[in-house]
Amino acid sequence: MKLRVDLDLCAGHGRCYEIAPELFGEDEAGHCVLLVETVPPALTDRARRAADNCPESAIGIE
Amino acid sequence: MSVDAFDAEAGTINVVAPEFTLRPHATMLEMVERCPVARIQYTDWPVLSRYEDVAWALRHPEIFSSDLGELLALGNVRPMIPQQIDPPLQTRYRKILDSQFTKKAVNRIEPALREHARNLIAAVLDAGECEFDSAFAIPLPCKAFLEFMGLPVEEMDHFLALKNGVIRPDAHPADLARCTELRAETGRQIYAYFEDLIDQRTRAPREDLMTYLVQVELEGRRLSREEILDICYLFLLGGLDTVTATLGCNIAYLAENAEQRRRISQDSGCVEAVVEELLRWQTPVTLLPRVLKQPVDLRGVHMAAGQVVNLMISAADLDAAEFPRAGEVDFDRDRNRHLAFGLGPHRCLGSHLARLEVRVGLEEWHRLIPDYAIKPGEIPRVSPGIREFQYLPLVWPGVA
Ligand code: HEM
Ligand code: SF4
Repeated sequence: MKLRVDLDLCAGHGRCYEIAPELFGEDEAGHCVLLVETVPPALTDRARRAADNCPESAIGIE
Repeated sequence: MSVDAFDAEAGTINVVAPEFTLRPHATMLEMVERCPVARIQYTDWPVLSRYEDVAWALRHPEIFSSDLGELLALGNVRPMIPQQIDPPLQTRYRKILDSQFTKKAVNRIEPALREHARNLIAAVLDAGECEFDSAFAIPLPCKAFLEFMGLPVEEMDHFLALKNGVIRPDAHPADLARCTELRAETGRQIYAYFEDLIDQRTRAPREDLMTYLVQVELEGRRLSREEILDICYLFLLGGLDTVTATLGCNIAYLAENAEQRRRISQDSGCVEAVVEELLRWQTPVTLLPRVLKQPVDLRGVHMAAGQVVNLMISAADLDAAEFPRAGEVDFDRDRNRHLAFGLGPHRCLGSHLARLEVRVGLEEWHRLIPDYAIKPGEIPRVSPGIREFQYLPLVWPGVA
């Protein structure tokens, strides 16, 4: 499982780094920073939940 | 029931009707389903209530502009920054402001916030009852805000007077002229207060948000005095009332729903989810105004350029197309993309601060007062627009 973030869409709600801090961090402005590109198998559920809860639909999963 | 506030035949909604402000859910659920573009009674402004429509409008500021001009003056003489201006200029201001409101940046006030909460609760605990708004919901965010801005906590009463003078001027709401006059008068006091602070921090910089605003550079230049004032004006209005309203909305719900309330005391890890779900359920800031830059046809309704449109985020948060079992409160939702803080470029700048205040408020309250109810025989009073429980009498069992 791979993650992508569309930074043009990200508005800094911070749901992703609240829900899955192992996968997402925040930059200086509170926007999303990917901490990993490939999600470890143990965290795929959490990755999905983070993507699902992004109000801007900025997180993509492949 | 509250269904009366919505006239399905005429497609109008009376958002100030007391039965609607107190129990709006049935009405809003009906609106979302039957009348996605209704009209506000009295002003006749169209009001959008479906999640999809509201989210689309929030993402298209070039059509749904926040530049409302004179239409919604709150005693300010220039647009408030960044709320009443559109991208791309708005985005430039957000670039310098966002860094001050990140989760990391707001977390530093948590210890002080917790202590304030404990003191407020200690003051009422033994009495076994309180009026929640004045005892807790108003003072907690106010102290947090002063702390966050780097302003003296002793000035709290003055701050509250300034905020109330603008939001709820001391005159009959129908007497528009008098209300406008009072708002303008308070507005002048707010400008004067922050003018003085700008001077103080220019002379003697400190480590606080006020000093940051005085020193920060926007594309190679300092902010002008007016820009700083227009930002502070919005902080004052945006940072106090909204959190007060959210705390009251949450406690009012939990007071009447014992089973849900018990979850908080039993499982401290669930408070974050409780905060999110109650933000969805209560969406305390209910209506976001926009003005159309071009004509829009939506669900068979034509809206002309220049028309003011209301986005009813509180109704959109009950849309079953986005939220399965939208009419139920469920702390275990897998997906909760509520609109309580808006969406897109104007996403609430203070959302991380607000979440912290509400979470700490709920945690501390339930630690000491896990069981409480609305005082028997009393009916709470809720303001329209921003749903503040202005009268919320609570009782709880005495402590041994
Ligand atoms: C639970 C409490 C809060 C709620 C429900 C709330 C809600 C909102 C909403 C819905 C918006 C979007 C307005 C629009 O699109 O027209 C907004 C914007 C804003 N809020 Fe909040 N807010 C809260 C707390 C705060 C706090 C504590 C601050 C701190 C100063 C704050 C500052 C702002 C600012 C500056 C904006 C304008 C952002 C922009 O236009 O770019 N809010 N808020
Ligand atoms: S949840 Fe979405 S909008 Fe929010 S920070 Fe993460 S990617 Fe950005």
